Amino acid sequence: MSSPLLSVSGLTKRYRRGVKIIAAVDDVSFHIETGETLALAGPSGSGKSTIARLVLRLVEPDAGRIRFEGEDFLALGGAALRSRRARLQMVFQDPLAAFNPRATVARVLDDPLRVHGIASRQERPRRIAALLERVGLTPDLAPRAIHEISGGQRQRVAIARAIATKPSLIVFDEAVSALDLSVRGQILRLLLDLQREERIAYLFISHDLGVISAIAHRVVILDAGTIAESGNARAVIDAPQSAIGKALVAATPRLNRTRP
Amino acid sequence: MTALLSIRDLTVTYRRDGGEVAALKDISLDIAAGERLAVIGESGSGKSTLALAVAGLLPASARVDGKIDWPGLGHTPLGGRDIGFVFQDPSASLDPVMPVGKQIAEVAYTHLGLGWPQAYAKARTLLERVRLPDPDAALHAFPHQLSGGQKQRVAIAAAIAAGPKLLIADEATSALDTIVQAEIVALVRQLVAADGMTLLFISHDIALAAELAERIAVFRYGGLIEIGAARQIVSAPRHAYTSSLLDAHLGLDAEPLSLQAGTPT
Repeated sequence: MSSPLLSVSGLTKRYRRGVKIIAAVDDVSFHIETGETLALAGPSGSGKSTIARLVLRLVEPDAGRIRFEGEDFLALGGAALRSRRARLQMVFQDPLAAFNPRATVARVLDDPLRVHGIASRQERPRRIAALLERVGLTPDLAPRAIHEISGGQRQRVAIARAIATKPSLIVFDEAVSALDLSVRGQILRLLLDLQREERIAYLFISHDLGVISAIAHRVVILDAGTIAESGNARAVIDAPQSAIGKALVAATPRLNRTRP
Repeated sequence: MTALLSIRDLTVTYRRDGGEVAALKDISLDIAAGERLAVIGESGSGKSTLALAVAGLLPASARVDGKIDWPGLGHTPLGGRDIGFVFQDPSASLDPVMPVGKQIAEVAYTHLGLGWPQAYAKARTLLERVRLPDPDAALHAFPHQLSGGQKQRVAIAAAIAAGPKLLIADEATSALDTIVQAEIVALVRQLVAADGMTLLFISHDIALAAELAERIAVFRYGGLIEIGAARQIVSAPRHAYTSSLLDAHLGLDAEPLSLQAGTPT
């Protein structure tokens, strides 16, 4: 059996708060297969976003191992790490905060193509147009500034930027939480299409169990930095076993439950 | 049932980039005394403008046509006394350098004519009512020492300190995680019932609105699409837009999108 695309074991990150040391992530292990969506759920402060940052190596862990595409990901540095980053992309909740708001859409998409040497200068405008079309936008959006386009269009640009380098894994941190309902559905469908066609795996962080049941294959439920339970998304959401899993399910608003 | 307030032909226009944008178009609706009304809509629907218009908090540059009458009040409402307002971001509505006890006591001092000792005693009672774990310590705490959910509890305590007839919550739970959101919604429901307040609950979340409110008004592009009993809106919507919102809602029983029939993007 081949090894998983990403495997994380014993991952630990502690922060100092005053005199106390708090483990934001405490001995967390999980894996993601090629083309699979794994969701991380949990309340605020449960460690979801810290795990995303650790996997992306935006922060370094205090303990644990991360293997990505068969390599010891934590051992990589310098040019080797930069080149592997093309394979591991990210989309955050607020693309306006992630991008220079005054940059044009073309500029945002040109950067990864140039930095990772994916397309020559002459070829890039064509690639940018193709990326925009791939995420359901029209190429005439290219000269517009990031701050001029709608929130849904911005999130599509963020996805186009993430897929520009042909990644095998994309980390989404609350990437659909701020979107209107109608836009959210379109974006989730787009993610599904991309996954089906390109076999990209997703690490999908969300506090919304409804979104998770619609898009994730498996779910890990976190509580105070540790894994409370994990398993098939449908099975966990239908019959949570942990106290935090039960609390999350009970707290999720339902259309057909009117309280007195 | 008497209307607490009655909105007639309300149009609100903002000046933007040299042009004029109508944020609300010709809205007429009554809010009954003691009811829980949810206003739902997506970005740009005008739902927040409606909340600001009712509270008299529109910017001076907004042009307002139509009128809002207050038959249930008998006089022009005073913000803070007759209307309590809870915003999405408690950090933005609380003073970061003032102890939270004083921020609540100030409302009681200003609007209830209490002396400072009584106003502080009232603030302590309110912190207890919004179930802050240690009300005595919380009186002296600064906002940054509290969690997001605790800050929102403080903001609610300040909003109800003067005993308002109407409580407006504008996306008051949207920035909170699911579990804290459920706790705050339960708290609002309990306070509104205990004090006989009327609730205007502004939200993008149709399921949350359906759980909390007796009636739901659906807004889109500044217009009122439909209004009705929460159960009717959810189970038998009259308007196609409401149906599309219900279809887009992903509940716990949401089928995997990969299995759903649907148009590709």
